[in-house]
Amino acid sequence: MRLLKKLGLAVLLMGALALPVWAYEGAPGLATGDLTPARRWDILWDHVLVDLWVIGVIFGLAALYMLIKYKAKNPTDVGTATKLNKAQAVAWALIPVAVFVADDFYLAAQGWTLWGIYRRVPENALEIKAIGHQWYWEFDYGNGVVTQELKVPQGRPIVLRMHSEDVVHDFSLPKFRVKEDVMPGRITYVWFMPDTVMDTIVTCTMYCGVAHSQMYGKVSVVPPEQYTSWLESAVKAAADQQTTKVKG
Amino acid sequence: MTAHSTTAHGTPIEHQGHGHHWETSIAPFAVVFGVFFLLPLTFSMHFVYHNTILTAVFAGIGLPLILFGVAKWIDEGLTQKPLVAGLAGVGMPIFIVSEIFIFLSFFATYWMVRLSTYSWPPEHTPEMPVLLPLFMTFLLITSSVTVHIAEEKLEHGDLAAFRKWLVITVLFGLAFLSCTTFEYHHLLEHDFLPSTNAFSMIFFSITGFHASHVFLGLSIFIAILLPALGGRVNKTFVLCGSIYWHFVDVVWIFVVSQIYFW
Amino acid sequence: MSDAHHGFNLREWIFTTDHKRIGILYLIGALSAFAIAGTFAIMIRMQQYGPGMQVFDSGSGYNTALYFHGAAMILVFLIPALTGFFANYFLPLMIGAKDVAFPRINAFSVWLFYAAIILALVSLVIPDPPDVMWTGYPPYSVTTEGNTAFYVFTVHLLGFSSILGAINFLVTVIYMRAPGMGWNQLNMFVWTILAAFILQLIFIPVLASAVTMLLFDKYLGTHFFDPAMGGDVLLYQNLFWFYSHPAVYVILLPAIGILFDVIATMGKNRIFNYKVCVYAGIGGVLALAGEVWIHHLYVAGVPDWIRVGMMITTLLISVPIGLMLMSLWGTLYKASITFNVAMHYASACLFLLLIGGLTGIPLAMTVMTANLGQTSFVHAHFHFVMALFSTFAIISGIYYWFPKMTGRLAEGKLAVVAFWFNIIGVNITFWPLFIIGVQGMPRRYFSYEQFPQFAPYHHVATYGSFLVALGMVLTLINWIKSAFWGVKSEANPWHSKSLEWTHTPNPPGPGNFPHDVTVSADWTPYDYVK
Ligand code: HEA
Ligand code: HEA
Ligand code: CUA
Ligand SMILES: [Cu+2]
Repeated sequence: MRLLKKLGLAVLLMGALALPVWAYEGAPGLATGDLTPARRWDILWDHVLVDLWVIGVIFGLAALYMLIKYKAKNPTDVGTATKLNKAQAVAWALIPVAVFVADDFYLAAQGWTLWGIYRRVPENALEIKAIGHQWYWEFDYGNGVVTQELKVPQGRPIVLRMHSEDVVHDFSLPKFRVKEDVMPGRITYVWFMPDTVMDTIVTCTMYCGVAHSQMYGKVSVVPPEQYTSWLESAVKAAADQQTTKVKG
Repeated sequence: MTAHSTTAHGTPIEHQGHGHHWETSIAPFAVVFGVFFLLPLTFSMHFVYHNTILTAVFAGIGLPLILFGVAKWIDEGLTQKPLVAGLAGVGMPIFIVSEIFIFLSFFATYWMVRLSTYSWPPEHTPEMPVLLPLFMTFLLITSSVTVHIAEEKLEHGDLAAFRKWLVITVLFGLAFLSCTTFEYHHLLEHDFLPSTNAFSMIFFSITGFHASHVFLGLSIFIAILLPALGGRVNKTFVLCGSIYWHFVDVVWIFVVSQIYFW
Repeated sequence: MSDAHHGFNLREWIFTTDHKRIGILYLIGALSAFAIAGTFAIMIRMQQYGPGMQVFDSGSGYNTALYFHGAAMILVFLIPALTGFFANYFLPLMIGAKDVAFPRINAFSVWLFYAAIILALVSLVIPDPPDVMWTGYPPYSVTTEGNTAFYVFTVHLLGFSSILGAINFLVTVIYMRAPGMGWNQLNMFVWTILAAFILQLIFIPVLASAVTMLLFDKYLGTHFFDPAMGGDVLLYQNLFWFYSHPAVYVILLPAIGILFDVIATMGKNRIFNYKVCVYAGIGGVLALAGEVWIHHLYVAGVPDWIRVGMMITTLLISVPIGLMLMSLWGTLYKASITFNVAMHYASACLFLLLIGGLTGIPLAMTVMTANLGQTSFVHAHFHFVMALFSTFAIISGIYYWFPKMTGRLAEGKLAVVAFWFNIIGVNITFWPLFIIGVQGMPRRYFSYEQFPQFAPYHHVATYGSFLVALGMVLTLINWIKSAFWGVKSEANPWHSKSLEWTHTPNPPGPGNFPHDVTVSADWTPYDYVK
């Protein structure tokens, strides 16, 4: 009988230890296909929420139940829990550990997959320079065009190469679920996929002084044709300005 | 909140074994506020507010307070018995763990800065001396030996020899600090200031921080020496001083190898 | 409060080297910091009520308020309350010691703490107050007009105070336990505070050197954080978080320790799986605490391999903490719980810890931070785990040991009413912040005209904070009232088995124990179950 108990425990433990491996193998990654990173972020967020709610509800209900159930009937009563024997103690450690590790690996694998997508810039991405200042954003399209509003064509990945002229800022585009710090002395990047025509904002999320919360700018996603014509006229305007400057 | 000293049943504390009164000491209070005036306030008055008068006033309040507090503290340490004797000999190594991490942070900074640049040393760095650091190493290592001898002598109850070797140690330490002063003077003359370049900021912060430790070690020795002249010695205190000194010595080896000879 | 032999003697309090009185001094300082920083919190909430100016007439006033709120709450309230007050008052009593190993150094620590409070308060009335937030990132902290020096020195004073405290208590626990007391007979609180001190000892020096470099950069013209001159902006952030992440466990662990002591005593139960909780739980947190700091730099442009590596270590922290939770929950199993006020707060803490801890998990995932980082989701996360869980654990502990310190009880209707204000108020305050955080409400914004859609949530949060303020003020009134006029308590009101209740009077006199304490090999502080 004791042998059987021990054997049973051993099997249980081995099963528990296999759990992390299974979780890792079983991490499906995210459905592939043409989803934008922002959309994938939302899907993963739903997964994570479910995960956390399950853990939270289990622990929460257990606490609630025990707090009610084990209310003292009589002020002189004492608790009746018995001391765990060695096997129980070990099992009560290893099994939860395996479950927790499994969950952590699952989340890590999912997060890692998507992070890979976040960092791998698509080859056809349009590159624009973003510069942080106290307290405004500047966008440099190359060929002399510098604006304070970010205008991008719909349907093409955008990669921003970023740095700051003064203190640390943080380029945050909540609509596209991206953000990355912008600092002097280093160049950082983010990329995002503007899939629909819209107006949204970029805002600074790293404390940078008194007007930190005013450091936001307009971001507009426009149809590609409109973008091209805008850029053409902007280039011309920039060139004109350059010549007047030289003349003057 | 309460100065109550009776039990729940109202028995006065006097009937209760150990400890009949609340222990007090003015020393810690004096040292803290001495430090408060001498460091944050004096520094701010000078570097932030550029106010010479207040700088002098605050330093003038801070320094005597510290000296008074330390003297009082040492006096109490020599006359009062601790609850458990000898624990300071354990406390010091634990403190040194902390110290190691301060030095490590500065060294890590150094490595990070140095390994991320292409050319080292950066522009405007004058020729660094080679012989001087070796000589300083010699001074410090010798002083570690002499303080060890002093301890041996104390162990054998030879107070006079203990004092003699301690004085020798202090002299070596002072010689070391003189070398530092000499070197700093020389470098400053060549316009090598803490703000000059990436090497200067690291050079001055690490060697300066180490020198401040030498200074502290020497202060401990002098604090041991003065009462020892009157025949009062606390062996645990001596042990702490010498552990600290050996530590300062070991750190110097790292400073020399990393800063001067790499 | 009068005493037959000598009444209140101010000199004896200021120059005291007695651990209990030093503890009380810590408590007074920490609670004052809480009250002031809490008052600032209410002003912050009123400012964020809607977009545009509400109570401050400029962003800089708000920034100083927020700087003071964050820095004071963490550095001057939570850490000193736990490692200063609770450790001082109760640790020597729990292990049967007459005092700490170095009583004068202990007095030194508490006055350093007060010096820091003075400096922090002075920094509010000087012309250019610090406005660098509690994190003090350069280059901003170097280029700002604000007085960064006072920030640095506040950190120095507190840091030195904590390091000395750590040495003191480590030596005390190792060498001054009552004869016969083995390592597996320590109170959970003693274990957790010990772990906290180990973290303080190792990591504070790193913070101290980081802010020292800040000071040099700003006032001596060095270039540690100036990339144009060979420095590095990220260096500071790395050093800062190398300390400040472990610091959250300096806050978490002792708070859990208090919870264990309250729950085991009020439930008259043994600690579930004690050894696993201590060696794997606390030990695991210690082992991992120093390997996760990059999770505060996930979007700071550090190399990708380190972001992914520390995502895994950060997630794995949930394992040892999960083990501690198993023991905490297990201690309820088959208990026999009496609900005094301390137990009310302890019960609430279980849920606050769950919410706060679990919301750390998405933040731990690098990619999730690309949207959640630096938003009010982070606020809500750490307010739940720190401002609510740890603070409620402190309140719980104060109620639990109130009779020990004053000889009087602080129970009663007022305490319970205040409890309900607090627990309802905090949930109303911080849940809306989770919601708007996910939608992109950034941190440290005194105004948000670009996000008008968040105003209704901010309204709710602000009203919630008024409830908390009411609850906290009532709690404070209750404590003051009870300390002087409360019902006299019996010697061991909760029928505890722990030494601080069984072997000393309320409050203990000089020397703590009327008779020398020894314990037998089968004694434990949670020895209820027959
Ligand atoms: C007491 C304080 C405290 C504590 C204990 C924690 C605990 C944790 N914190 Fe938190 N945190 C802060 C205080 C704290 N934090 C503060 C102050 C900040 C902001 C600083 C600033 O920028 O100003 C912050 C910010 C912060 C960030 C950075 C966000 C950002 O700035 O973008 C991250 C990211 O990883 C994070 C993660 C975590 C994690 C994973 C834990 C874990 O330790 C939590 C572990 C606990 C649990 C998970 C719950 C219990 C366990 C179980 C029920 C077992 C099963 C669970 C699983 C298997 C998942 N925290
Ligand atoms: C222990 C830590 C702690 C605690 C307890 C609190 C408590 C509270 N915090 Fe705080 N908070 C932080 C730590 C803490 N906070 C930190 C670290 C930050 C980040 C700072 C940064 O970004 O740098 C932060 C930031 C922060 C913000 C973000 C602002 C922004 O980013 O722009 C907000 C906004 O809602 C907030 C609100 C509150 C509220 C409403 C409470 C309430 O729970 C407070 C309740 C308490 C009281 C109301 C005091 C009671 C008063 C008395 C007992 C006496 C009465 C006195 C008189 C009448 C004089 N906090
Ligand atoms: Cu730029 Cu905040
Ligand atoms: Cu952290």
